[in-house]
Amino acid sequence: MFFNDIHTRIRFLLLVVIIILLMIIGKVFYIQVFSYNKLSKITEDLWSRQMTINAPRGDIVDRNGKILATSIVTTTIYVVPGQIKKENKEKVSKDISEILNCDYDDVYKYVSKNSSMEIIRKGMDLDSKTAEKIENLGYDGVYLVVDSKRYYPYGDMLAHIIGFVGSDNQGLSGLELTYDEYLTGINGSLKYYSDGKGNKLEVPDSYIAPSKGMTLQLTLDLELMQAIYNELNNAVAKYNADNALSIVMNPKTGEVLAMGSLPSFNPNEYQKYSEEVINRNLPIWKTYEPGSTFKIITLASSVEEGVVDLFKDTYYDSGAINVEGSTLHCWKHGGHGAQTYLQVVENSCNPGFVTLGEKLGKDTLMKYIKNFGFGTKTGIDLNGEGNGILFNVDKMGPVELATTAFGQGISVTPIQQVTAVSAAINGGLLNTPYVVSSIIDDNSKSIIYENKPTAKREVISKETSAIVRFALESVVANGTGRNAYIENYRVGGKTGTAQKVSNGKYMVGNYILSFIGFLPANDPEAVVYVAVDNPKGVTQYGGTVSAPIARSIMLSAIETLGIKEQSGGMLKEYQYLDVRYLVLPDVVGMSKEEATKTLKDFKVKYSGSGNKVTYMSPSPNTFQKVDTTITLLLN
Amino acid sequence: MKKSIDKPVLIMVIILSIFGLIMIYSASYIWAEYKFNDTLHFVKMQSIFFLIGLAIIYFTSKIDYHLYYKYSNIILLICAILLILVLIPGIGSVRNGSRSWFGIGPLGIQPSEMAKIGLIIFVAKYLTNNERIMKSIVHGVLPILLVIGFFFFIIMLEPDFGTSMVIVCTLIAMIFISGVKISFFVKIGLLGIVGIIGIVIAAPYRMMRIISFLNPWSDPLGSGYQILQSLYAIGPGGLLGQGFFKSRQKYFYLPEPQTDFIFSIISEELGFLGVLIVTCAFFVIFYCGVKDSLKAKDLFGKYLGFGLSFGIVIQAILNLAVVVGLVPVTGVTLPFLSYGGSSLLVSMLSIGIILNISKNN
Repeated sequence: MFFNDIHTRIRFLLLVVIIILLMIIGKVFYIQVFSYNKLSKITEDLWSRQMTINAPRGDIVDRNGKILATSIVTTTIYVVPGQIKKENKEKVSKDISEILNCDYDDVYKYVSKNSSMEIIRKGMDLDSKTAEKIENLGYDGVYLVVDSKRYYPYGDMLAHIIGFVGSDNQGLSGLELTYDEYLTGINGSLKYYSDGKGNKLEVPDSYIAPSKGMTLQLTLDLELMQAIYNELNNAVAKYNADNALSIVMNPKTGEVLAMGSLPSFNPNEYQKYSEEVINRNLPIWKTYEPGSTFKIITLASSVEEGVVDLFKDTYYDSGAINVEGSTLHCWKHGGHGAQTYLQVVENSCNPGFVTLGEKLGKDTLMKYIKNFGFGTKTGIDLNGEGNGILFNVDKMGPVELATTAFGQGISVTPIQQVTAVSAAINGGLLNTPYVVSSIIDDNSKSIIYENKPTAKREVISKETSAIVRFALESVVANGTGRNAYIENYRVGGKTGTAQKVSNGKYMVGNYILSFIGFLPANDPEAVVYVAVDNPKGVTQYGGTVSAPIARSIMLSAIETLGIKEQSGGMLKEYQYLDVRYLVLPDVVGMSKEEATKTLKDFKVKYSGSGNKVTYMSPSPNTFQKVDTTITLLLN
Repeated sequence: MKKSIDKPVLIMVIILSIFGLIMIYSASYIWAEYKFNDTLHFVKMQSIFFLIGLAIIYFTSKIDYHLYYKYSNIILLICAILLILVLIPGIGSVRNGSRSWFGIGPLGIQPSEMAKIGLIIFVAKYLTNNERIMKSIVHGVLPILLVIGFFFFIIMLEPDFGTSMVIVCTLIAMIFISGVKISFFVKIGLLGIVGIIGIVIAAPYRMMRIISFLNPWSDPLGSGYQILQSLYAIGPGGLLGQGFFKSRQKYFYLPEPQTDFIFSIISEELGFLGVLIVTCAFFVIFYCGVKDSLKAKDLFGKYLGFGLSFGIVIQAILNLAVVVGLVPVTGVTLPFLSYGGSSLLVSMLSIGIILNISKNN
C-alpha cells in the first residue's frame, strides 16, 4: 500500500516536472517565433550605432534648368565616446578644438559624455579643408560624415519665392516649405555594431547611400529675374522708394516669368531679418489702390458690353465731373477737352472713365471686376497671397461706382492686377498664375508632377480683347504710356498713379506709381508690371517713374525670351524733347546722290568708291534714331 | 551480489558538464578578457572544479550512503553552524547583494548549497524513521517543517531566495511522496503564497523584481534589465540560433553571461535545438536518478535518491523559468552548466551519492 503510494506520487511529480519543462520549451518557442520580429528590431537598435547621412535637398531650377537653389556638400563630426580611450580624451578634444577654432570645453563635453554617439555642434557643416585636417588626426571614435547644406547663389533675389530652410535642412518658408516633401531626400546611414560598452565590433558596417530630393523646376527665367531685380534696385536707389515690385507673366499661360520685390532678405542668413520682411511677398501680398491701371478692366467691360464705341463716341472733359453732388477731378488740371473715347483711354481721363462706369452700372461693372478675379485669391502656388478689397455691390452708391471705374476706393494685389490684365489682352481667358512648372525625380528621371495652364473662365470675347490691345498700344504710342515705347516692337500698356491711404484718408504726396505693359501688342508674350511705392524727388506719375522701368524690363524680355521684331505697329507721336525715331528707308540700288537725299535725317558714311549703294547698315525698314550714322557700301 | 553503478547518469552528467565548459567559454571570454585579461579565465577555473567534481563523484559513489544516515544530525549541525557563521560580516562575504559566501581566494563556498544536501539527508532519515506517524500532521509533519522553517529562515537572512526556494521545494516534494494527505499540501501551498507575499513586503527590492517580471519594459535599465537582456538573447537567436560562438548579447549586454543566464546564451547561439538538448538532459538525469532511487532496497535510499534527483531538476527548472521569463529573477544557477564551483561541486556530490544508491540496490 505504502510503496504503491510512493510510486504513484513520484509518477505524479515526474509528470509535473515534464509539464513544467514543456512550458519552458513552449515559452522559448514563443519567444523565438512570435516575439522574434519585435525583439530583433529592438536588439538591432541596441547592438548597432547608426549615423545618419543627410540626403541633399533637391535643386530648384529656372525654366531653362539653371540652378536657383542647391545643396553643397559639407562634413559633420560624430564622436563615439566609448571608442575614445580615457587617456586620449583630453588630447582628442584639444586637437579638434584647435582645428575648429572653438573652446576646448565645447568639444570635451561631447567627447567625455556617457552616450553612444554625439554630434559636435561646432563640428557641423565643415568645409573639406577642415574635414581633411580632422581626418588626418586619425583618432579612433571620431567619425566624419558627409552632410549637406542649402545654398542660395542668388541671395535675396529669389528669397520671397523660394524661401529658406532651417538648420536641419527642413523647409521653413516659400517653396522650400510648400514642396518640402518633394525636395527632401531620403537620408542614408552608416551603421556599425558595437558591444554593450560602445566599442566597435568586428562586424561589417552597413552603408545606405542617401538619395537626393527631387528637382523643382520653376516657370521663372533667371536672366529676366536678374533684369527686374537690377531695375528694382536702381529704382529704389534713385527715388529712395519705400518699396518696389515687379511681375513678368506669360499672359497666355499664367506662367510667372519673373517676380521680385524690395525690400528682400538673404535666405542664407534669414535670422538677421524681421518677420515682416520675410513673410511679406509684396507682389502677391500687398494690397493697394491700383489707380489708373485698373481702367483697363473698366475699358474691357465697357467694350464687351457694347456701351461705348471707342472710335466714334466722344466725351468733353472740363477737368472735373459732378457725381451726385461730389466733384471728381481729372488728374490733368483744366481737363483734356473734347476727346474720342480712345483718347479718353490714351489720356487716362478720369471723368471719361466715370461716364463709362455710369454706362455700365454698378452691377455689371462689379460682375466684370469679380470675373476678372478681383476680390479673391488668384490661387498662385505661393504662400501668403492677399485677397484685395472690393465695394459691396449692395452698398455701392454712384460715387463708389465712379471711383471704382478709374481705380480708386478699391484694393487689389499686384498678382490680381497682372492676371486680370492678362485675361483682358490674351483673348479673354482668366488663367491661374503659377511658378512651379514641374517636379522631376532625378533618380528615375521621371516627371512626378507637371503644372499645366488652367483657364478659370472666359471673361471677355476675343474681339473685345483685340480692341483692348489696340487701345493700350495707342496709350503707349500716343498717350500717358509713351515712356514705355520700344522701336520696332509693338508695346501696349497703361500707367497707374494711386494715392496711398492711411487711416481712411489719402496721404499727401505719397503715391504708388505703377505701369502695366505687354508686348507684342498684337500677340502678347509677356506682361510686365512695375510698381514703385513712394518715390521721392520726382514728378508723381506712373508714366514718368514706372513706365521707363517697365520699358527696360521689356527690353530684357525681348532678349531673354527671344521676342521677334514686329512691323505694323503704331508710330509714336513725338513731343518736345523726345528723341525722334524714323523708319530707315531702303536705299540699296540707289545712286550715291539719291541715297544721300533720301537719308537727310541721318548721318551717312560711305565705304568704297563706286556710285551705287549695294549694302546698308543698319538694315532698312527699321526704326532708327534721328542722326544715327548709316554706313553705305558703294561698288 | 555486487551491482555496477548507473552509467547513463554518469555519462550524461559528464557530457553536460563538458558542454557547460564549452558554453562557459563562449559566453565568458569577452568578460574574461575584460576583467582578467585572459579569455580562458573562467574556463580554467571551471575545469579545475570539474576535475574536483569528478573526484567527488568517484569517492562518494564508493561511500556507502548509509553512512549519511548515521551522521545526518552532525552533518545538519555543521550546516547550521556554517549558515550562521556566514552571516557574520568579516567571515561571510557579500556577492550580488547576498552575504552567502565563504570566500577562499578565487574559490567560494556557499553554505546554503551544502545545507541543501544536509537537509535532504536529514529529511530522508526523518521520513524513514517516522514512516508510521507521517499520516499525522502534528506528530509527523510539523516537527520536520519546523526544522525546514528554521533553515529557510537563516538562509533568507543572507538573503538567498533562490537556494531557499530550491531547498523548500525539494523537501516538500520528499514529504509529498512520503504519503502525507493531499489536503495538507493545499494548505501549505496557501500558506506558502501568504509567506511569499510577506517576504516580498519585507524587502521592497523583491517587489521590484516581480514588477519587472510582469513588465520588464517598465524599468528597462533597472530591475527589468536582466530579464530583458535575456529575452534579447533568446528572441533574435530564433529557432536556428545565431550559430555557435556568435552570440551578441555576451558583448557586455548580458551581465555575467556565464553564470545564471548561461541558458540565454545557449539558446541565442544554438537556437531551439540547444534548448531541447538541455531540457531533455535534465529530464533524463532526473528520470534515471528517480528510477535508481526506487530500486533502492531501503526507504532511506529511496528518499535520499529522490530528494537529490529532485533537487537538481528543480534547480534547473527554476533557473530556466527565470531565464525565459516565466518567473521573477531569483538567482539560482543552472546545475552543471553555469559557471561556479560551489554549484558544480554540490551537484556532482548529489550525483555521486545517487550513483552509490544505484550500486547498492
